[in-house]
Amino acid sequence: MLVDPEKCTGCQQCLIACSMKHHGNVNPHLAMIKILRLESQKLNIPVICMACDDAPCIKVCPMNARVRQTNGTVVTNTDVCISCRACVYICPVGSPVVNPYTDQTMTCDMCKDDEAGPWCVIACREGAMRVCESDALAKGVARERAGRSRAIYPNN
Amino acid sequence: MKVVIIGNGIAGNQVALSLRERAKETEICILSAETVPEYDPCSLPYFLGGSIEKKDVFKKNIEDYQQLNIDIMFNSKVVSIAPEAKCVTTDKGLEIGYDKLVLAHGGDLFIPPIEGIRNAGVFSCKQMVETEKLESHNGCRAVVIGSGAIGIEAAEALKKKGYEVHIIELLGWILPVLFDEPTARRLEAAMERHGIHVHTGEKVLRIKGDTKVTGVVTDKREIECDTVVVATGVVPGTALAKTALIETGRGIQVNRKMETTVSDIYACGDCVETFDSCTDEVVMFQLKHNAIEQAQIVAKNILGDNIKYLGAYAFARVHFFNTHAATFGKTMRATECLLGKSELIEKESGKDYLRVVLLDGKVIGGQAIGKYADAIGLFIGAMWRKDDMDRLRGKWNKIPQSGAAYSWPLIRLGQIIGPAAHG
Repeated sequence: MLVDPEKCTGCQQCLIACSMKHHGNVNPHLAMIKILRLESQKLNIPVICMACDDAPCIKVCPMNARVRQTNGTVVTNTDVCISCRACVYICPVGSPVVNPYTDQTMTCDMCKDDEAGPWCVIACREGAMRVCESDALAKGVARERAGRSRAIYPNN
Repeated sequence: MKVVIIGNGIAGNQVALSLRERAKETEICILSAETVPEYDPCSLPYFLGGSIEKKDVFKKNIEDYQQLNIDIMFNSKVVSIAPEAKCVTTDKGLEIGYDKLVLAHGGDLFIPPIEGIRNAGVFSCKQMVETEKLESHNGCRAVVIGSGAIGIEAAEALKKKGYEVHIIELLGWILPVLFDEPTARRLEAAMERHGIHVHTGEKVLRIKGDTKVTGVVTDKREIECDTVVVATGVVPGTALAKTALIETGRGIQVNRKMETTVSDIYACGDCVETFDSCTDEVVMFQLKHNAIEQAQIVAKNILGDNIKYLGAYAFARVHFFNTHAATFGKTMRATECLLGKSELIEKESGKDYLRVVLLDGKVIGGQAIGKYADAIGLFIGAMWRKDDMDRLRGKWNKIPQSGAAYSWPLIRLGQIIGPAAHG
Protein backbone atom coordinates (compact mmCIF):
# COMPACT_ATOMS: atom_id res chain seq x y z
CA MET A 1 0.00 0.00 0.00
CA LEU A 2 1.41 3.34 -1.03
CA VAL A 3 0.04 6.45 0.60
CA ASP A 4 0.62 9.85 -0.95
CA PRO A 5 -0.15 12.65 1.54
CA GLU A 6 0.40 15.27 -1.10
CA LYS A 7 -2.70 14.05 -2.89
CA CYS A 8 -4.84 13.44 0.20
CA THR A 9 -7.47 16.12 0.73
CA GLY A 10 -8.70 14.70 4.05
CA CYS A 11 -12.16 13.97 2.64
CA GLN A 12 -12.53 10.81 4.75
CA GLN A 13 -13.99 8.73 1.92
CA CYS A 14 -11.50 5.99 2.81
CA LEU A 15 -12.65 6.00 6.45
CA ILE A 16 -16.24 5.57 5.39
CA ALA A 17 -15.32 2.77 2.97
CA CYS A 18 -13.27 1.06 5.67
CA SER A 19 -16.00 1.17 8.30
CA MET A 20 -18.50 -0.01 5.69
CA LYS A 21 -16.32 -2.97 4.77
CA HIS A 22 -15.42 -4.09 8.28
CA HIS A 23 -18.48 -3.09 10.28
CA GLY A 24 -21.20 -2.64 7.68
CA ASN A 25 -21.71 0.81 9.07
CA VAL A 26 -20.92 4.34 7.96
CA ASN A 27 -18.95 5.60 10.91
CA PRO A 28 -15.50 7.15 10.52
CA HIS A 29 -14.70 6.26 14.16
CA LEU A 30 -14.82 2.58 13.23
CA ALA A 31 -12.32 2.89 10.40
CA MET A 32 -8.85 1.39 10.65
CA ILE A 33 -7.33 4.48 9.06
CA LYS A 34 -6.53 7.67 10.90
CA ILE A 35 -6.09 10.89 9.01
CA LEU A 36 -3.52 13.05 10.68
CA ARG A 37 -3.80 16.71 9.80
CA LEU A 38 -0.61 18.70 9.85
CA GLU A 39 -1.79 22.28 9.50
CA SER A 40 1.73 23.68 9.49
CA GLN A 41 2.69 21.57 6.48
CA LYS A 42 -0.75 21.78 4.83
CA LEU A 43 -0.76 18.00 4.69
CA ASN A 44 -3.27 15.27 5.42
CA ILE A 45 -1.60 11.99 6.20
CA PRO A 46 -3.65 8.79 6.15
CA VAL A 47 -1.99 6.61 8.79
CA ILE A 48 -2.46 2.88 8.43
CA CYS A 49 -0.75 -0.11 10.02
CA MET A 50 2.63 -0.61 8.37
CA ALA A 51 2.68 -4.33 9.24
CA CYS A 52 6.33 -4.03 10.36
CA ASP A 53 8.52 -7.04 9.57
CA ASP A 54 9.63 -7.22 13.19
CA ALA A 55 6.38 -5.92 14.64
CA PRO A 56 6.77 -4.63 18.20
CA CYS A 57 3.04 -4.90 18.91
CA ILE A 58 3.20 -8.70 18.55
CA LYS A 59 5.92 -8.80 21.20
CA VAL A 60 4.28 -6.59 23.81
CA CYS A 61 0.69 -7.83 23.66
CA PRO A 62 0.02 -9.60 26.97
CA MET A 63 -2.71 -11.73 25.41
CA ASN A 64 -0.84 -12.55 22.18
CA ALA A 65 -3.83 -11.10 20.42
CA ARG A 66 -1.79 -9.41 17.69
CA VAL A 67 -1.55 -12.01 14.95
CA ARG A 68 0.23 -11.94 11.62
CA GLN A 69 -2.03 -13.07 8.82
CA THR A 70 -1.11 -15.01 5.71
CA ASN A 71 -1.12 -11.83 3.62
CA GLY A 72 1.45 -10.22 5.90
CA THR A 73 -0.82 -7.85 7.77
CA VAL A 74 -1.05 -7.88 11.55
CA VAL A 75 -4.51 -7.76 13.11
CA THR A 76 -5.99 -7.92 16.59
CA ASN A 77 -7.82 -11.08 17.57
CA THR A 78 -10.93 -9.59 19.15
CA ASP A 79 -11.75 -12.86 20.92
CA VAL A 80 -8.86 -12.39 23.34
CA CYS A 81 -7.99 -8.67 23.19
CA ILE A 82 -8.50 -7.20 26.65
CA SER A 83 -8.14 -3.58 25.50
CA CYS A 84 -4.96 -2.80 27.42
CA ARG A 85 -3.75 -0.61 24.50
CA ALA A 86 -0.16 -1.88 24.67
CA CYS A 87 -0.09 -2.08 20.86
CA VAL A 88 -1.22 1.55 20.53
CA TYR A 89 1.55 2.75 22.83
CA ILE A 90 4.41 0.74 21.34
CA CYS A 91 3.47 1.49 17.70
CA PRO A 92 6.12 3.79 16.18
CA VAL A 93 3.47 5.47 14.02
CA GLY A 94 0.53 5.22 16.40
CA SER A 95 -1.61 3.33 13.92
CA PRO A 96 -3.89 1.01 15.94
CA VAL A 97 -7.37 2.48 16.26
CA VAL A 98 -9.33 1.96 19.45
CA ASN A 99 -12.87 0.85 18.71
CA PRO A 100 -14.99 3.33 20.70
CA TYR A 101 -17.68 0.72 21.35
CA THR A 102 -15.60 -2.25 22.47
CA ASP A 103 -12.34 -0.49 23.47
CA GLN A 104 -10.43 -3.13 21.53
CA THR A 105 -7.86 -2.14 18.94
CA MET A 106 -8.04 -2.71 15.22
CA THR A 107 -5.62 -2.32 12.34
CA CYS A 108 -5.67 -2.60 8.58
CA ASP A 109 -6.00 -6.11 7.11
CA MET A 110 -5.85 -4.89 3.49
CA CYS A 111 -9.41 -6.25 3.08
CA LYS A 112 -7.77 -9.62 2.57
CA ASP A 113 -10.92 -11.60 1.82
CA ASP A 114 -11.93 -9.25 -0.99
CA GLU A 115 -10.60 -9.85 -4.47
CA ALA A 116 -11.34 -6.29 -5.54
CA GLY A 117 -8.59 -5.11 -3.19
CA PRO A 118 -8.71 -2.67 -0.29
CA TRP A 119 -11.93 -0.64 -0.23
CA CYS A 120 -10.13 2.55 0.78
CA VAL A 121 -8.10 2.43 -2.42
CA ILE A 122 -11.29 2.07 -4.46
CA ALA A 123 -12.97 4.86 -2.53
CA CYS A 124 -10.14 7.37 -2.82
CA ARG A 125 -10.95 9.79 -5.63
CA GLU A 126 -7.66 11.63 -5.42
CA GLY A 127 -5.47 8.58 -5.98
CA ALA A 128 -3.73 9.17 -2.67
CA MET A 129 -3.78 5.44 -1.89
CA ARG A 130 -2.46 2.76 -4.17
CA VAL A 131 -1.57 -0.89 -3.93
CA CYS A 132 1.63 -1.79 -5.71
CA GLU A 133 4.46 -4.32 -5.61
CA SER A 134 7.61 -3.22 -3.81
CA ASP A 135 9.73 -3.36 -7.01
CA ALA A 136 7.33 -1.14 -8.89
CA LEU A 137 7.31 1.22 -5.95
CA ALA A 138 11.08 1.60 -5.93
CA LYS A 139 11.18 2.18 -9.68
CA GLY A 140 8.34 4.66 -9.55
CA VAL A 141 9.97 6.63 -6.76
CA ALA A 142 13.31 6.63 -8.55
CA ARG A 143 11.71 7.89 -11.73
CA GLU A 144 9.77 10.57 -9.88
CA ARG A 145 12.86 11.76 -8.00
CA ALA A 146 14.83 11.90 -11.21
CA GLY A 147 12.11 14.04 -12.68
CA ARG A 148 12.06 16.29 -9.66
CA SER A 149 15.81 16.79 -9.60
CA ARG A 150 15.68 17.70 -13.27
CA ALA A 151 13.14 20.35 -12.40
CA ILE A 152 15.43 21.77 -9.69
CA TYR A 153 18.68 21.50 -11.65
CA PRO A 154 17.59 21.91 -15.28
CA ASN A 155 21.11 22.27 -16.64
CA ASN A 156 22.46 18.93 -15.37
CA MET B 1 22.49 -31.13 16.30
CA LYS B 2 20.57 -31.42 19.54
CA VAL B 3 19.43 -28.24 21.25
CA VAL B 4 18.26 -28.51 24.83
CA ILE B 5 16.23 -25.60 26.21
CA ILE B 6 15.75 -25.28 29.94
CA GLY B 7 12.53 -23.45 30.65
CA ASN B 8 9.14 -23.55 28.97
CA GLY B 9 8.34 -19.86 29.18
CA ILE B 10 8.19 -17.09 26.62
CA ALA B 11 11.95 -17.09 25.93
CA GLY B 12 12.36 -20.88 25.77
CA ASN B 13 9.47 -21.34 23.37
CA GLN B 14 10.56 -18.46 21.18
CA VAL B 15 14.01 -20.07 20.80
CA ALA B 16 12.36 -23.36 19.83
CA LEU B 17 9.99 -21.67 17.40
CA SER B 18 12.66 -19.55 15.72
CA LEU B 19 14.93 -22.60 15.39
CA ARG B 20 12.17 -24.74 13.93
CA GLU B 21 11.25 -22.09 11.37
CA ARG B 22 14.67 -22.37 9.79
CA ALA B 23 16.00 -25.79 10.76
CA LYS B 24 13.54 -28.61 10.20
CA GLU B 25 15.96 -31.38 11.24
CA THR B 26 17.44 -30.01 14.45
CA GLU B 27 16.45 -31.99 17.50
CA ILE B 28 14.85 -29.64 20.03
CA CYS B 29 14.08 -30.61 23.61
CA ILE B 30 12.42 -28.34 26.17
CA LEU B 31 12.72 -29.18 29.85
CA SER B 32 9.97 -27.63 31.96
CA ALA B 33 9.83 -27.48 35.74
CA GLU B 34 6.08 -26.90 35.55
CA THR B 35 3.35 -29.28 34.42
CA VAL B 36 1.42 -27.18 31.91
CA PRO B 37 2.10 -26.13 28.30
CA GLU B 38 3.42 -22.67 27.53
CA TYR B 39 1.32 -19.88 28.97
CA ASP B 40 1.78 -16.14 29.08
CA PRO B 41 2.52 -14.79 32.57
CA CYS B 42 1.54 -11.29 31.36
CA SER B 43 -2.07 -12.37 31.01
CA LEU B 44 -2.36 -14.04 34.42
CA PRO B 45 -3.69 -10.89 36.16
CA TYR B 46 -6.50 -10.69 33.59
CA PHE B 47 -7.36 -14.32 34.27
CA LEU B 48 -7.34 -13.45 37.97
CA GLY B 49 -9.65 -10.50 37.39
CA GLY B 50 -12.06 -12.63 35.39
CA SER B 51 -11.62 -10.73 32.09
CA ILE B 52 -10.53 -13.89 30.30
CA GLU B 53 -10.92 -17.61 30.68
CA LYS B 54 -8.15 -19.93 31.74
CA LYS B 55 -7.77 -21.42 28.26
CA ASP B 56 -6.85 -17.99 26.84
CA VAL B 57 -3.79 -17.78 29.06
CA PHE B 58 -2.15 -20.67 27.24
CA LYS B 59 -0.14 -20.00 24.11
CA LYS B 60 0.24 -23.64 23.14
CA ASN B 61 -1.31 -27.00 23.85
CA ILE B 62 0.37 -30.39 23.91
CA GLU B 63 -0.45 -31.11 20.25
CA ASP B 64 1.32 -27.93 19.14
CA TYR B 65 4.60 -29.30 20.47
CA GLN B 66 4.12 -32.57 18.56
CA GLN B 67 3.25 -30.68 15.43
CA LEU B 68 6.41 -28.61 15.68
CA ASN B 69 8.38 -31.78 16.45
CA ILE B 70 9.60 -30.42 19.77
CA ASP B 71 10.22 -32.82 22.66
CA ILE B 72 8.68 -31.43 25.80
CA MET B 73 9.43 -32.90 29.22
CA PHE B 74 7.23 -31.62 32.03
CA ASN B 75 8.06 -31.86 35.70
CA SER B 76 11.77 -31.96 34.90
CA LYS B 77 13.64 -29.40 36.94
CA VAL B 78 17.27 -29.33 35.91
CA VAL B 79 19.55 -29.38 38.93
CA SER B 80 23.02 -29.38 37.42
CA ILE B 81 24.94 -28.85 34.19
CA ALA B 82 28.17 -30.62 33.27
CA PRO B 83 29.71 -28.52 30.47
CA GLU B 84 32.65 -30.90 29.83
CA ALA B 85 30.39 -33.94 29.39
CA LYS B 86 27.80 -31.72 27.66
CA CYS B 87 24.90 -33.04 29.63
CA VAL B 88 22.31 -31.82 32.13
CA THR B 89 20.84 -33.71 35.10
CA THR B 90 17.24 -33.37 36.24
CA ASP B 91 15.93 -33.75 39.77
CA LYS B 92 14.76 -37.27 38.84
CA GLY B 93 18.35 -38.23 38.06
CA LEU B 94 17.81 -38.29 34.30
CA GLU B 95 20.84 -37.26 32.24
CA ILE B 96 20.28 -35.52 28.92
CA GLY B 97 23.08 -34.77 26.49
CA TYR B 98 23.19 -31.63 24.35
CA ASP B 99 25.13 -29.96 21.56
CA LYS B 100 23.83 -26.49 22.39
CA LEU B 101 22.18 -25.58 25.66
CA VAL B 102 19.85 -22.62 26.20
CA LEU B 103 19.13 -21.37 29.71
CA ALA B 104 15.69 -19.78 29.70
CA HIS B 105 14.40 -20.81 33.08
CA GLY B 106 13.52 -17.25 34.03
CA GLY B 107 13.43 -15.83 37.49
CA ASP B 108 12.08 -16.77 40.85
CA LEU B 109 9.72 -14.66 42.83
CA PHE B 110 11.59 -12.75 45.50
CA ILE B 111 10.05 -13.67 48.84
CA PRO B 112 11.01 -11.01 51.37
CA PRO B 113 12.00 -12.23 54.84
CA ILE B 114 8.83 -11.12 56.62
CA GLU B 115 7.40 -12.92 59.60
CA GLY B 116 4.33 -14.92 58.62
CA ILE B 117 5.03 -14.93 54.89
CA ARG B 118 4.35 -18.67 54.74
CA ASN B 119 0.86 -18.37 56.26
CA ALA B 120 -2.20 -19.63 54.46
CA GLY B 121 -3.71 -16.76 52.51
CA VAL B 122 -0.38 -15.45 51.18
CA PHE B 123 -0.22 -15.75 47.41
CA SER B 124 1.81 -14.62 44.45
CA CYS B 125 0.80 -13.86 40.88
CA LYS B 126 3.75 -14.93 38.76
CA GLN B 127 3.15 -18.58 38.02
CA MET B 128 0.08 -20.45 36.87
CA VAL B 129 -0.32 -22.68 39.93
CA GLU B 130 -0.07 -19.80 42.40
CA THR B 131 -2.46 -17.60 40.45
CA GLU B 132 -5.00 -20.41 40.27
CA LYS B 133 -4.88 -20.76 44.05
CA LEU B 134 -5.45 -17.02 44.43
CA GLU B 135 -8.25 -17.12 41.88
CA SER B 136 -10.14 -19.81 43.78
CA HIS B 137 -9.51 -18.15 47.15
CA ASN B 138 -12.52 -16.53 48.77
CA GLY B 139 -11.69 -13.30 50.51
CA CYS B 140 -12.82 -9.72 50.68
CA ARG B 141 -9.87 -7.66 51.93
CA ALA B 142 -6.51 -7.92 50.20
CA VAL B 143 -3.10 -6.38 50.77
CA VAL B 144 -0.65 -6.31 47.87
CA ILE B 145 2.96 -6.02 48.99
CA GLY B 146 5.03 -4.33 46.32
CA SER B 147 3.86 -2.11 43.48
CA GLY B 148 5.70 -3.28 40.42
CA ALA B 149 3.84 -4.08 37.23
CA ILE B 150 2.62 -7.41 38.64
CA GLY B 151 1.50 -5.82 41.91
CA ILE B 152 -0.51 -3.09 40.18
CA GLU B 153 -2.18 -5.50 37.80
CA ALA B 154 -2.98 -7.93 40.61
CA ALA B 155 -4.46 -5.07 42.64
CA GLU B 156 -6.71 -4.02 39.78
CA ALA B 157 -7.77 -7.62 39.16
CA LEU B 158 -8.67 -8.12 42.83
CA LYS B 159 -10.56 -4.83 42.85
CA LYS B 160 -12.59 -6.05 39.88
CA LYS B 161 -13.34 -9.23 41.82
CA GLY B 162 -14.84 -7.07 44.56
CA TYR B 163 -12.04 -7.07 47.08
CA GLU B 164 -11.11 -4.06 49.16
CA VAL B 165 -7.50 -3.56 48.09
CA HIS B 166 -4.49 -1.93 49.76
CA ILE B 167 -1.09 -1.60 48.10
CA ILE B 168 2.02 -1.17 50.21
CA GLU B 169 5.21 0.13 48.61
CA LEU B 170 8.49 0.44 50.46
CA LEU B 171 9.88 3.19 48.23
CA GLY B 172 8.54 6.70 47.83
CA TRP B 173 6.10 6.12 44.98
CA ILE B 174 4.37 3.33 43.11
CA LEU B 175 6.03 1.60 40.15
CA PRO B 176 9.40 3.05 41.26
CA VAL B 177 11.43 1.38 38.52
CA LEU B 178 9.17 2.26 35.61
CA PHE B 179 7.81 5.70 36.52
CA ASP B 180 9.14 8.95 37.96
CA GLU B 181 7.51 10.54 40.95
CA PRO B 182 5.27 13.13 39.17
CA THR B 183 3.77 10.48 36.89
CA ALA B 184 3.43 7.94 39.67
CA ARG B 185 1.66 10.48 41.92
CA ARG B 186 -0.95 11.06 39.24
CA LEU B 187 -1.46 7.33 38.86
CA GLU B 188 -1.72 7.01 42.60
CA ALA B 189 -4.48 9.60 42.63
CA ALA B 190 -6.27 7.73 39.85
CA MET B 191 -6.06 4.50 41.84
CA GLU B 192 -7.38 6.19 44.96
CA ARG B 193 -10.29 7.53 42.90
CA HIS B 194 -11.14 3.96 41.98
CA GLY B 195 -11.02 2.83 45.56
CA ILE B 196 -7.60 1.19 45.73
CA HIS B 197 -5.75 2.39 48.83
CA VAL B 198 -2.10 3.18 48.17
CA HIS B 199 0.45 3.44 50.98
CA THR B 200 3.93 4.49 49.85
CA GLY B 201 7.09 4.73 51.90
CA GLU B 202 5.86 2.03 54.23
CA LYS B 203 7.59 -1.11 55.35
CA VAL B 204 5.75 -4.33 56.07
CA LEU B 205 6.92 -5.58 59.45
CA ARG B 206 4.96 -8.77 59.77
CA ILE B 207 1.94 -10.66 58.55
CA LYS B 208 -0.45 -11.42 61.38
CA GLY B 209 -2.20 -14.70 62.01
CA ASP B 210 -1.02 -18.03 63.35
CA THR B 211 -1.78 -20.18 60.35
CA LYS B 212 -4.25 -18.05 58.43
CA VAL B 213 -3.66 -14.42 57.51
CA THR B 214 -5.64 -11.95 59.64
CA GLY B 215 -3.79 -8.73 58.96
CA VAL B 216 -0.63 -6.92 57.94
CA VAL B 217 1.44 -4.73 60.26
CA THR B 218 3.51 -1.94 58.71
CA ASP B 219 5.67 0.66 60.40
CA LYS B 220 2.78 3.13 60.15
CA ARG B 221 -0.45 1.19 60.49
CA GLU B 222 -2.17 -2.13 60.82
CA ILE B 223 -4.47 -3.36 58.06
CA GLU B 224 -6.97 -6.14 58.60
CA CYS B 225 -7.11 -8.53 55.69
CA ASP B 226 -7.67 -12.13 54.69
CA THR B 227 -5.53 -12.17 51.54
CA VAL B 228 -1.94 -11.10 50.95
CA VAL B 229 -0.34 -10.97 47.49
CA VAL B 230 3.46 -10.86 47.39
CA ALA B 231 4.68 -8.93 44.36
CA THR B 232 8.07 -7.76 45.49
CA GLY B 233 9.91 -8.52 42.30
CA VAL B 234 11.57 -11.31 40.41
CA VAL B 235 15.16 -12.34 40.92
CA PRO B 236 16.98 -14.13 38.09
CA GLY B 237 17.58 -17.82 38.66
CA THR B 238 21.36 -18.09 38.78
CA ALA B 239 21.82 -21.17 40.98
CA LEU B 240 21.70 -23.55 38.01
CA ALA B 241 24.24 -21.55 36.00
CA LYS B 242 26.63 -21.62 38.94
CA THR B 243 26.76 -25.44 38.76
CA ALA B 244 28.36 -25.04 35.33
CA LEU B 245 30.69 -22.31 36.66
CA ILE B 246 29.06 -19.69 34.42
CA GLU B 247 29.83 -16.14 35.50
CA THR B 248 26.85 -14.49 37.14
CA GLY B 249 26.19 -11.03 38.46
CA ARG B 250 22.65 -10.14 39.39
CA GLY B 251 21.66 -12.42 36.53
CA ILE B 252 23.51 -14.77 34.21
CA GLN B 253 26.16 -12.81 32.34
CA VAL B 254 25.93 -12.90 28.56
CA ASN B 255 27.72 -11.17 25.71
CA ARG B 256 26.06 -9.43 22.76
CA LYS B 257 25.49 -12.78 21.08
CA MET B 258 23.67 -13.99 24.19
CA GLU B 259 26.43 -16.53 24.91
CA THR B 260 27.35 -17.22 28.51
CA THR B 261 30.96 -17.46 29.60
CA VAL B 262 30.88 -21.23 28.98
CA SER B 263 30.97 -22.28 25.33
CA ASP B 264 27.85 -23.75 23.70
CA ILE B 265 25.65 -22.47 26.49
CA TYR B 266 23.33 -19.56 25.70
CA ALA B 267 20.95 -17.71 27.99
CA CYS B 268 17.96 -15.45 27.43
CA GLY B 269 14.85 -14.16 29.14
CA ASP B 270 14.32 -13.21 32.76
CA CYS B 271 17.43 -15.02 34.00
CA VAL B 272 20.05 -12.86 32.26
CA GLU B 273 21.49 -9.42 32.76
CA THR B 274 21.90 -7.54 29.49
CA PHE B 275 22.75 -4.15 28.07
CA ASP B 276 20.57 -1.09 27.95
CA SER B 277 19.79 -0.18 24.35
CA CYS B 278 20.56 3.51 24.89
CA THR B 279 23.33 3.66 27.45
CA ASP B 280 25.04 0.23 27.31
CA GLU B 281 24.79 -0.13 31.06
CA VAL B 282 24.29 -3.60 32.47
CA VAL B 283 20.58 -3.78 33.20
CA MET B 284 17.76 -6.19 33.73
CA PHE B 285 14.35 -5.48 32.27
CA GLN B 286 12.37 -8.60 32.92
CA LEU B 287 9.77 -7.87 30.31
CA LYS B 288 8.21 -9.96 27.59
CA HIS B 289 9.41 -8.15 24.50
CA ASN B 290 13.03 -8.29 25.66
CA ALA B 291 12.72 -12.04 26.26
CA ILE B 292 11.37 -12.54 22.74
CA GLU B 293 14.08 -10.43 21.12
CA GLN B 294 16.83 -12.17 23.09
CA ALA B 295 15.41 -15.58 22.19
CA GLN B 296 15.41 -14.69 18.49
CA ILE B 297 19.07 -13.65 18.77
CA VAL B 298 19.91 -16.95 20.50
CA ALA B 299 18.21 -18.97 17.78
CA LYS B 300 20.02 -17.10 15.02
CA ASN B 301 23.39 -17.53 16.70
CA ILE B 302 22.81 -21.24 17.29
CA LEU B 303 22.17 -21.59 13.57
CA GLY B 304 25.52 -19.99 12.85
CA ASP B 305 24.59 -16.39 12.08
CA ASN B 306 26.63 -13.77 13.80
CA ILE B 307 23.92 -11.50 15.15
CA LYS B 308 24.42 -9.03 17.96
CA TYR B 309 21.73 -8.03 20.41
CA LEU B 310 21.03 -4.30 20.34
CA GLY B 311 20.05 -4.12 23.97
CA ALA B 312 17.03 -4.18 26.18
CA TYR B 313 14.58 -1.38 26.92
CA ALA B 314 11.66 -1.01 29.24
CA PHE B 315 8.15 -0.72 27.95
CA ALA B 316 5.09 -1.07 30.14
CA ARG B 317 1.57 0.22 30.36
CA VAL B 318 -0.80 0.38 33.28
CA HIS B 319 -4.47 1.07 33.25
CA PHE B 320 -7.09 1.35 35.92
CA PHE B 321 -10.52 1.31 34.44
CA ASN B 322 -10.36 4.44 32.26
CA THR B 323 -6.95 5.87 33.15
CA HIS B 324 -4.28 4.72 30.73
CA ALA B 325 -0.57 5.27 31.16
CA ALA B 326 2.52 4.09 29.34
CA THR B 327 6.24 4.23 29.98
CA PHE B 328 9.33 3.30 28.03
CA GLY B 329 13.10 3.50 28.34
CA LYS B 330 14.77 5.09 31.31
CA THR B 331 13.23 7.23 34.02
CA MET B 332 14.65 10.60 35.01
CA ARG B 333 15.79 9.09 38.28
CA ALA B 334 17.83 6.42 36.50
CA THR B 335 19.27 9.08 34.19
CA GLU B 336 20.56 11.34 36.93
CA CYS B 337 23.56 9.13 37.61
CA LEU B 338 24.60 9.01 33.93
CA LEU B 339 27.23 11.18 32.29
CA GLY B 340 26.00 13.63 29.70
CA LYS B 341 23.49 16.42 29.55
CA SER B 342 20.07 15.20 30.53
CA GLU B 343 16.96 17.20 29.83
CA LEU B 344 13.33 16.82 30.74
CA ILE B 345 10.37 17.83 28.60
CA GLU B 346 7.04 18.02 30.38
CA LYS B 347 3.63 18.74 28.91
CA GLU B 348 0.38 18.87 30.78
CA SER B 349 -3.21 19.57 29.90
CA GLY B 350 -5.95 18.60 32.29
CA LYS B 351 -5.52 14.98 33.26
CA ASP B 352 -3.12 14.28 30.42
CA TYR B 353 0.56 14.34 31.15
CA LEU B 354 3.69 13.75 29.11
CA ARG B 355 7.26 13.46 30.29
CA VAL B 356 10.17 12.76 27.96
CA VAL B 357 13.75 12.25 29.10
CA LEU B 358 16.53 13.30 26.75
CA LEU B 359 20.22 12.55 27.15
CA ASP B 360 22.53 14.60 24.94
CA GLY B 361 19.57 15.50 22.76
CA LYS B 362 18.43 11.92 22.20
CA VAL B 363 15.26 10.39 23.57
CA ILE B 364 16.07 7.72 26.14
CA GLY B 365 12.79 7.42 27.97
CA GLY B 366 9.37 8.79 28.57
CA GLN B 367 6.10 8.44 30.38
CA ALA B 368 2.61 9.54 29.47
CA ILE B 369 -0.91 9.51 30.83
CA GLY B 370 -4.13 9.96 28.90
CA LYS B 371 -4.19 11.30 25.37
CA TYR B 372 -0.44 11.89 25.27
CA ALA B 373 0.02 8.13 25.68
CA ASP B 374 -1.51 7.58 22.24
CA ALA B 375 1.48 9.33 20.69
CA ILE B 376 4.16 7.83 22.90
CA GLY B 377 5.00 5.28 20.21
CA LEU B 378 6.48 8.11 18.15
CA PHE B 379 8.96 8.77 20.94
CA ILE B 380 9.78 5.07 21.16
CA GLY B 381 10.49 5.19 17.44
CA ALA B 382 12.72 8.21 18.01
CA MET B 383 14.57 6.26 20.71
CA TRP B 384 15.13 3.31 18.35
CA ARG B 385 16.35 5.57 15.58
CA LYS B 386 18.40 7.72 18.00
CA ASP B 387 16.94 10.90 16.49
CA ASP B 388 18.62 14.15 17.40
CA MET B 389 15.81 16.05 19.11
CA ASP B 390 17.72 19.32 19.40
CA ARG B 391 18.06 19.41 15.65
CA LEU B 392 14.46 18.35 15.22
CA ARG B 393 13.16 21.11 17.44
CA GLY B 394 14.89 23.72 15.35
CA LYS B 395 13.87 22.23 12.05
CA TRP B 396 10.56 20.44 12.26
CA ASN B 397 8.42 23.17 10.76
CA LYS B 398 10.94 23.79 8.02
CA ILE B 399 10.75 20.23 6.66
CA PRO B 400 9.75 20.78 3.01
CA GLN B 401 6.29 19.84 1.97
CA SER B 402 7.30 17.45 -0.74
CA GLY B 403 8.79 14.29 0.65
CA ALA B 404 7.17 14.97 4.01
CA ALA B 405 5.49 11.57 3.81
CA TYR B 406 8.70 10.01 5.03
CA SER B 407 9.20 12.39 7.88
CA TRP B 408 5.69 12.87 9.19
CA PRO B 409 6.46 11.12 12.51
CA LEU B 410 9.23 13.68 12.97
CA ILE B 411 6.90 16.57 12.20
CA ARG B 412 4.36 15.19 14.66
CA LEU B 413 7.09 14.78 17.31
CA GLY B 414 8.16 18.35 16.75
CA GLN B 415 4.59 19.51 17.18
CA ILE B 416 4.21 17.67 20.45
CA ILE B 417 7.41 18.78 22.13
CA GLY B 418 7.37 22.27 20.64
CA PRO B 419 10.39 24.51 20.19
CA ALA B 420 13.36 24.27 22.54
CA ALA B 421 12.84 26.16 25.79
CA HIS B 422 16.20 27.87 25.59
CA GLY B 423 15.61 28.97 22.00
